[in-house]
Parts: sequence; structure tokens; C-alpha cells
Amino acid sequence: MKLWLQLAAQSAWARRGPLSLVVAAISVAVFLVLAIAQLRQDARDSFADAVSGVDLIVGARASPTELLLYSVFHLGRPVRSMAYEHVEAIAKLESVAWAVPVQLGDSYRGYPVVGTSPLFFEKTGGPGGLAFASGKAFSDVFDAVLGADLAKRFSLNTGDSLVLTHGKGEGLAQDHSDRPFTVSGVLQKTGTPADNAVFISLAGFEAIHIGWEFGSKPRESVVAQLSAEDLQALTPSQVTAVLVGLQSRIQVFSARRAIEGLAGGRLMAILPGVTLDELWQLMRTIENTLSLMAWLVAVSALLGVAATLLIALGARRKELAIFRALGARPSQLSLFVVFESVLVCLAGLVLGWLLLQLAVLGAGDWVRNSFGVMVSPRLPDAQGWAAMLGLLFMSVLASVVPAWRAFRLSVHDGLHPPTV
Amino acid sequence: MKPAVLTAGVAEPVIRLDGLRFAWPGQKVLLAIDDFVVAQGSTVLLQGASGSGKTTLLSLIVGVLSAQQGSVHVLGQNLSQMRPAQRDVFRGESIGVIFQLFNLLPFLSVRDNVLLPVRMFARRRLQIKDTDAQRREASRLVTALGLSDAVLDRQAHQLSVGQQQRVAAARALIGSPPLIVADEPTSALDEDTQSNFLALLIAQVRATGATLLMVSHDSRLAGQFDQVIRL
Repeated sequence: MKLWLQLAAQSAWARRGPLSLVVAAISVAVFLVLAIAQLRQDARDSFADAVSGVDLIVGARASPTELLLYSVFHLGRPVRSMAYEHVEAIAKLESVAWAVPVQLGDSYRGYPVVGTSPLFFEKTGGPGGLAFASGKAFSDVFDAVLGADLAKRFSLNTGDSLVLTHGKGEGLAQDHSDRPFTVSGVLQKTGTPADNAVFISLAGFEAIHIGWEFGSKPRESVVAQLSAEDLQALTPSQVTAVLVGLQSRIQVFSARRAIEGLAGGRLMAILPGVTLDELWQLMRTIENTLSLMAWLVAVSALLGVAATLLIALGARRKELAIFRALGARPSQLSLFVVFESVLVCLAGLVLGWLLLQLAVLGAGDWVRNSFGVMVSPRLPDAQGWAAMLGLLFMSVLASVVPAWRAFRLSVHDGLHPPTV
Repeated sequence: MKPAVLTAGVAEPVIRLDGLRFAWPGQKVLLAIDDFVVAQGSTVLLQGASGSGKTTLLSLIVGVLSAQQGSVHVLGQNLSQMRPAQRDVFRGESIGVIFQLFNLLPFLSVRDNVLLPVRMFARRRLQIKDTDAQRREASRLVTALGLSDAVLDRQAHQLSVGQQQRVAAARALIGSPPLIVADEPTSALDEDTQSNFLALLIAQVRATGATLLMVSHDSRLAGQFDQVIRL
């Protein structure tokens, strides 16, 4: 066995020129199969991390998926706001442990600005909350906390000041330059949307919008005329959503009923885990289609392996005869061909995996910014290993016909193949 | 009671064919040999016209083909009663084979080609157990066959045809198999190289006490053999 494996490796190495093209074809297939598996898993992990610790998300009645995507992941189109009085009512419910409002709409150089309460940093981002890499949560009205990636991207540190943009910053530039914010803290990296957001207090969010009731910059800044006490006392009239943690998860359905009853049916409370599952259900067709295409590429690459081996055999009948003369059995020559196919596939697997890691290193930021999914180089997970094993098995299948032909040829030719 | 030394002295022939009949499927009988014996330690030249079945006979003797009738005894083994896989092992362990052309595996170095029988069969490494001894033996054989041992590190396809034939002879001889079978090993060589190659091959065969059965259509070579058999 070992001898034939060595010989197959030496034979494949001697024909590395033509075989490298086959290896390249396989590596593309491996790249696709693994990339889809990894993106799928990373998407699930990132999204699940982002809502970990949150039992309910409350917003104005709309599509649950849209509410989840917009309020937590800052993706998709804005949802309708809910009245701030309901936030206070929710927080007073007996089953509710904490309620953190979030207000969205503004941006900083294209990245979302989240108006919220300091509780946000304690309660979201999993057990222990969001940790600070430097500084602390906002205390002043015009303090801002930055996500790790955003701070790094724009080289901002604690103490720096920044000017937010009204809306998403599209069309005419309408900035809040009359009232810049000061960075009070920078968060540690989490792999969630928090890495790419600016967090300010609800009072701050409200303050920069005084006089903006008609959607455009007031001619005279009103903010500048307000005293510190006035500013601290500002409360918003509306928020985008409320993240809710319950005293006990067992109460989730009764809490949901209680919340949805507060505003005469205008509110909706969603279970983030359930909504994410619904989202993945929607995505399944796309995932399956992508997977199918990746596997079809794999099949065509392995058909290439089979064709290459088969074509090569015609010219290698003399080699088979030499092996026969040396005492090799036809079945060993079949094994030799199978080993060569498996080795070529193994090379393709390793190369495909390496390509994926390079792509992840190179395009990871883009994927994170575009889709909110944190990807990182790593070994394949169980699903990835299963896919690779599947490909290896397919490479054995691909070699069945060439191996059978090697067997037939070596029996038929004996020591005397037709002169090559 | 017969003294043991006498029975040992009556050497069993290395090759013995009895009532052999062979035909390719759907064709008339190609080989009909009632009695064919090659004595141990002899060098035998097998001659015959094209199509007389010389090559087929070699395939029967090395166990790649099997006869429809009669028996083929080689080195005391009845090949007719062995399964194909057993005959393959028997060939690898006990017979060195040299072809007319294309003897070497192009993807291996010359040394790997020479040592391949040693790697494949334990019996071929009985006297050269460790790697060093094997490398020394490969070096000794190629030198004895008139090559510089620097060729061992080259790739097989870089050698001339004459060099390749010598390497093939070294591979057939390594591990001292008792029988060497050669099918027109000199016909691709020019006249000077031919007799030189043959002399060196026969010298090595004799040195190990092996038996050489060689097929050639060239009757000028007959003088160098103990026995000439015409088919």
C-alpha cells in the first residue's frame, strides 16, 4: 500500500505540469463548497452573537424580519418608530428585567449612529456585555462610544471629536457640525454590528435634532442656546425599537402578550432567535442553490480528473507492462491509479482551503461591512470536513473507470503492450 | 537407501515444459512444445522466426499467461497450478525480466528504477537488508554493467537507449533472482554495444549462478551461450 502510494506520488509529481491544471480546477470547486459552508456558518454565528442576551425586540408593528434586521443589524430599510412612552411602560412591566431603547437614522461617514442608554453596553453582546478597550460609556449628552472597527478605520481615540451626519448621508450633505461629539470610549471587537457603529445617548440624539422637524438643517443652531440642564433633561418622543431582557425566559410568551397589549396592537414583540430561524428558512433556497452549483463545479472538476487519468493511461500502457514484469498484480495497478486521483484531489483540497483563507483575509472587511457577517481564517468546521471527505470520496469514484481500464489493459497487454 | 548427496546432485531443471499447448482465443495453436528443459546455471538463446511464439513462450514461463494444456514448471514450481496473483508474486520474487525497449519507469530516478524489485518483494532484499547495502548493490551492478554510478541520480528518460538497457539489466539482477529472462534486449543496440552488453550481462548472471533465457532473432550472438534452442 505504502509503496504504491509513494509511486503514485512520484508519478503525479513527474506529471505535475498537466496535473496542476486539474488541481486548480478542483481547488476552485473546493473554494466554492467551503466558502458557502463557512459563510453560512459565520452568518449564523455572527447574527446569533449580536442578539445574544436579548429576549425580545419590540417595535412598531411591521415585518418581524425587517424589525430585526434594521434595529440590530442596521440592514434593510428603516422601520416605523414607536412612541417613547411605551418604552417606559415596557420597562415597568413585572416580567421585564431591563429595556434598552435604540434610535437609528443618523450616520457617521456611512456607518450607523445608534442612540441608546448606557445599559446597552451592559446587557447586549452576550454575558458580561460589551467590554471597553479604552474609555467608558457616554455620560455627557455629546459623548460618543465607538465600535472597535470603526474607531480603527478612522483612527479615532478617546477624546477625539466627530461630526455626525443627518440621515444616511446621501444627497445634500447635512451634517450636525453645529454640535460635534467627543469620543468617551472605544469598545472591544466583538464580531457583531456593534464593531461598526457609533453609540450616543438618546438625549444627544434628540439634542442634535432640535429644529430639524422639517427634515433639514435649521438656519440657526438651537442646540447652542440650551443649557446643560435642559440638554440632560431631553427625552426623545420616539425610538426605533426596544431590546428587552426578561426576569425569566419562561415568561417570554406572557411578556410578549403584555407588551403587545400596551399600545392597542400597534406594538410588536419578536423573539430574535425565532425570527433569525425564519430568516435562515428564507435563505435556505438560496443556500441550497449555491451549494448545488458548487458541487456541480466539483463534479465537473473530478470528471476532468477522470478524463486526464484515462487519456494518460493510453500513453502509459508500457509503464503498466513494466510493473507487470516486476511482479505487480493488475489490482495493484488499479490501486496505483486510484491513489494518483486521490493525491491530485488532496492537493486540490489543500489549495482550495488555502485560497479561501486568503480570500477571507483579503475580503473579510468587505464582507463584514456589506453583510454584517464576521468571517475569519480558520480550519474547516464539521460541515467543511464532511464536504472535503465527500470530495475525496468523489475523487475515488472519478478514478473507478481509469482504474478499471488500467486493470483491463494490464491483464490484456501482459508484458507486451502495442508499441507506443 | 540412496545417499542424500546424490539426489541433491541431480539438479532439477530451472524450466521444464511438458506437453504444452497454447493458442490465443479464437486462433489456431501457436505453441506446441512436448519437451523443453533449461538446466540450472546455463545460458540459453531461444531463436525462431517472427510469429513463431518466442515472446508468448516467455510470457508463459514468467507466468503472465497460462497454457491451455500441459504443464510449465519453473524453479520447481508448477505455474499451471498457481493462481494468477501467486504467479505475479513468484515472478517478482524469482525472475528478472528485461525487455527490448522502454524498460524504465520515466517518473523514477535510475536508482529508484533499479531498486524497485527490492522495494516490492522481501525475497529480493534477503541479502541486502538495509538501505545502505541496497544503494551499494545498485551502484556495484551499474558499474559492473559498464555505467558510471553517477547515472543512478539521473532521471530514467535522460539516458540513452544503451544506458537504459544496462540499467534494466541491473534491475533484473538486483537481489539475485535465480532466473533472468530477456526478450531481444540487444536488438535496439548497435553492433559494438550489443556484444559488450551481452558479455557483461552473461558475466553477472554467471557470477550469481543464475540462469539466463534470452530471446533473439540474431544468430550471431549464439556463440556466447551455452545452448541454443530453435522454436
